[in-house]
Amino acid sequence: MKETTVILAKDNLQGLLRKLGRDKSLVAPVTNQWGDTLYTEITDIDGTELDLSKQPQASLKGFFFPQQEVIQTYDTTAGYEFTPQRHIQPTLFFGVRSCDLHAVLYMDMIFSSPERDDAYFARRQDTTIITLACTTPFANCFCNATGSGPFMEYGYDLQLTDLGDRFLVEAGRQQGEQILQAWGHFFEPATEEDVQLQYQLSLEAGGRFQRKVEVEHACRILASGEVDEQIWQQLSARCADCGGCAYVCPTCTCFNIRDAQQEPSKGERIRSWDACTFSGFTRMAGGHNPINSDHALQRRFLHKLKYDVEKHGKPSCVGCGRCVDICFGHVDITTFIEAVVED
Amino acid sequence: MENKLEFIDLGATDQPEQARQSVHDFEYSHKAEITNVYPLTATEKLYQIQICDPDERHNFTFHPGQFVMLELPGIGEGPFSISSSPIRHGDLELCIRGVGNMTNFLNRVERGTKVGISGPFGTHFPVENMIGEDILLIAGGLGIVPLRSPILSVLENRSRYGQVDIIYGARKPSELLFGYQYEMWKQFDINLEIIVDEAEQGWQGPVGLITEILKKRIDQGRDADFRHKTSAIVCGPPIMFKFVCDQLTHANLPMEKMFVSLERRMHCGRGKCCRCNIGSTYTCLKGPVFDYWSVLNLKEAI
Repeated sequence: MKETTVILAKDNLQGLLRKLGRDKSLVAPVTNQWGDTLYTEITDIDGTELDLSKQPQASLKGFFFPQQEVIQTYDTTAGYEFTPQRHIQPTLFFGVRSCDLHAVLYMDMIFSSPERDDAYFARRQDTTIITLACTTPFANCFCNATGSGPFMEYGYDLQLTDLGDRFLVEAGRQQGEQILQAWGHFFEPATEEDVQLQYQLSLEAGGRFQRKVEVEHACRILASGEVDEQIWQQLSARCADCGGCAYVCPTCTCFNIRDAQQEPSKGERIRSWDACTFSGFTRMAGGHNPINSDHALQRRFLHKLKYDVEKHGKPSCVGCGRCVDICFGHVDITTFIEAVVED
Repeated sequence: MENKLEFIDLGATDQPEQARQSVHDFEYSHKAEITNVYPLTATEKLYQIQICDPDERHNFTFHPGQFVMLELPGIGEGPFSISSSPIRHGDLELCIRGVGNMTNFLNRVERGTKVGISGPFGTHFPVENMIGEDILLIAGGLGIVPLRSPILSVLENRSRYGQVDIIYGARKPSELLFGYQYEMWKQFDINLEIIVDEAEQGWQGPVGLITEILKKRIDQGRDADFRHKTSAIVCGPPIMFKFVCDQLTHANLPMEKMFVSLERRMHCGRGKCCRCNIGSTYTCLKGPVFDYWSVLNLKEAI
């Protein structure tokens, strides 16, 4: 039995979070008054009910890479001064699903190489992530096909598995071990049966997926050949160019940078999300656009399933299924994968 | 398929965020001044930009074909090819056409405006590897802008190169750039051939396509040595690349001796914002200069 595997009684969870939330802000899934489940910053743990039964509708992307953020302010009155704006807040994320953690690991990689992005890492550096393994996958999930769930094997600080009346807690990275040491009295040693039960649950979870999306097969087809022109045309014809898929996608990190002038000599430089499905995304000053509008979705799908496989050995779709929910034209990534595999 | 993402260990404190206080440190941006502006045509202007600090100016080195990010506080920043000679260091010349928000604003600025320069970025034309060879420089339209830097670099080292040909095509004579320098180039023993698509009043040169002139040049140089002793640098609209490079390939010029500059829309210049990528290749990091062999391996590049 590993020392880093312990049991946390469900009654002790609130107490533990209260202690951990003292010097960090706490973010966990909460269902708000309109029925939306979102990762929410919790100020009063005793007056808030966590909702661990639903998939949060937005990923963690916005916490590290906000939809709009001021990355610099400038002042040209006296000279030519640019002041970087860095937002550092130690945060504890609780109840994160493995797909979302996986997406954060992917973003870490994108924002760290070849040049380190300081605005991102300022937000990212002092964070602790406690994941919750998915014992029951949600309706649109296909993380088993992308290799990013439903249980994590690495990358988490702590991973919790719901064993009914208690959680099995595994420590992955250093910060997780520190929590186990510092708050040891919340935990009990885990038995061999607990670990067996977790293994059993992980096997059952793997069998409960409602969607069968053949991601690996599609990646192999894409790596070796071209996609039939007709597939692009059919899918792109139904794309409304809304950018919703890129906004909810936990691994879409395209952005735009613009300056907002506040006074003649002062202002802000703002970074905001962008989407490669927008028609002007790659259009150049002279009017030439290397992307054909019949292929509006090509950039996004190929980036996820082909270019990232070439570059990092793994598709950057984490199988969270959020784009399936958001796309009203039904041309999400699963439709594309099915079309490629059928072809 | 590999099941694990290579993940970044944040616990390690070996990468503390550097305190970037002054503009010198911040994202490599140098404070610079537009020292002179002069119109070349109705839409393009040449901006002479000098990095203010003398030491920074001297330490600013670049290679022909690289680009800089020019930033105008309150307006934005954008990538522009350097069209001055590398020996001038931080005394840059940028030729810019007024088409968008930022470039139209630039069109109205006066001498003395303070701007930021960061860079240089990107790959370059390997002019130092071409020493001892004949050089073909082929430009279409605005393609002369990134090409002017290798042209000047070759001129300054004229004794080290064999025959140098510049073939330049434009839509109309009034759109030709750097007209005031043609005589100088010719005096440095350079064959300069200019062709336009449509003649205008007073035009005495040839009218037609750039490939016609190229054909003549290839025909006269068609000896056994042509493929061994010639390098080509090509820049222009995508349609031009295709025809010119095909023609050079037919003349047996090896693909790795043809260099093209693929210009794409860029926003961040560090391989993150996903605008300029061709497949998994980011032109802001791996480009903009590629040899034709690599270009053919990039789908949808031209």
